[in-house]
Amino acid sequence: MKIVDGLTLSAEHRALLKPGEMLALAGPEIHQLPRFFYEIESWQHAKETQLTAHFTLSELITVDCREADLLLHRFPHYVPCAVTVLARYLEDFRERVDAPVCVAVNGGYRSPAHRLSGRPSPHLWATAANIYRIGDTWLDSQKAIERYARIAESLGPDVYVRPYGPEPGETDDHLHFDLGYLLCTRRGYSEAQ
Amino acid sequence: MMDETTLHEQIEKLRADSGAGAASVHVHDYESERTFAHGSDRWFHAASTMKVAVLLALFHAAQTGRLRLEDRLHVRNRFRSIVDQSIYRVQRDRDADAAVHRRIGRSMKLVELAEPMITRSSNLATNLLLEYLTPAWVQSTLASAGIEGARVVRGVEDTVAFDRGLNNTITAAGLVDIFRLVREDRLLPEVARRQAFEILAAQEFNSMIPSLLPDGAQVAHKTGEISTCTHDAGLVLLPGRRPYVVAILTEHPPGLENTQKTVARISRLVYEFITA
Repeated sequence: MKIVDGLTLSAEHRALLKPGEMLALAGPEIHQLPRFFYEIESWQHAKETQLTAHFTLSELITVDCREADLLLHRFPHYVPCAVTVLARYLEDFRERVDAPVCVAVNGGYRSPAHRLSGRPSPHLWATAANIYRIGDTWLDSQKAIERYARIAESLGPDVYVRPYGPEPGETDDHLHFDLGYLLCTRRGYSEAQ
Repeated sequence: MMDETTLHEQIEKLRADSGAGAASVHVHDYESERTFAHGSDRWFHAASTMKVAVLLALFHAAQTGRLRLEDRLHVRNRFRSIVDQSIYRVQRDRDADAAVHRRIGRSMKLVELAEPMITRSSNLATNLLLEYLTPAWVQSTLASAGIEGARVVRGVEDTVAFDRGLNNTITAAGLVDIFRLVREDRLLPEVARRQAFEILAAQEFNSMIPSLLPDGAQVAHKTGEISTCTHDAGLVLLPGRRPYVVAILTEHPPGLENTQKTVARISRLVYEFITA
């Protein structure tokens, strides 16, 4: 996959993706948004890009009409490079649960301009996945969500899952799986401005 | 021969015999340009008839460039009450349509949601569209068309709102006005009206307005039922004449039997009046 420096994108794309900008979260945390992106030429390209044995790129970037018009309707699309790390961890998770892991629409990468991005989260870094179904189990009950949350946490301290519940920062109809605000800079790309 | 006075009397007799507490009927006939009104400004719980307003607001949003009907929307069964923002869900076993529930986690085109919202009265599809459009947009669409007899304030199964008496409400006159927008060039262009008509004409619940009409009748309609209300409204197309629009709204004690038959019989009376 071709990698691009977000700072070299068109002004319209930079306004939506905010590459390298600092973003204040709720509370005292401030994080830098991703600057380096994979360039996705077409939806076919995303579907054919197998990130791991069981996850294609398309599964981790599917959004709905709440995404900004330019990012939804026009290619190329841009996805933070950390998406490959997310896929690696999801593959490990799939191996532990030994069943297909289904990521919801809007539940992988979404841009800072997406209407659900009002409350910033690692989804903007392409390091989070909302899992709504594992095998035949729908993750819409406390029992199911907490069962798989414990398995996800067993992957190591890099993995965070949101607690069960209806309040902000909790989930009650999926398992939120994230790796935090991970930035990924491939060899050969400089972080100098 | 059925005249207007007789029609009033017969509707009232049917209502009384059925045990219903109220029956409102409004008719507009494009052939004669006559209007018939029987208590048609009385407000009722709209039940699923409000879905027609959502349908037209969706097409209006597409027309104004706010969205594209081919755009996809995440199917998620999780909504917030208008009262306290608490979470509620559409109960799958109470929803007339299971197909949209099977898409949870994935996405459907907006127009693909509009179809089951009308043809199988999908509550989940309705709430998804209404949440995306917002009740304010639906209401502003109705207002821009000069419709006063319909109030859309919340999604289906918002029981917290129901307990507070916050419901979608409608009058028979308002519902006829909404259906007239499917035929008249006042809100939507011809292509959109044709598409809306085809969705309404594909209605799968046909035990009321169409059931006692002649075989040649085509009805593009929407039913609405809760424990205390049984409604149906739509455009009736008969061979060799222009269509008429009819709305029949009834309110009754919970558990009353044969409520759909009452609406069907009123529909037959209206047909006999129109074609007399």
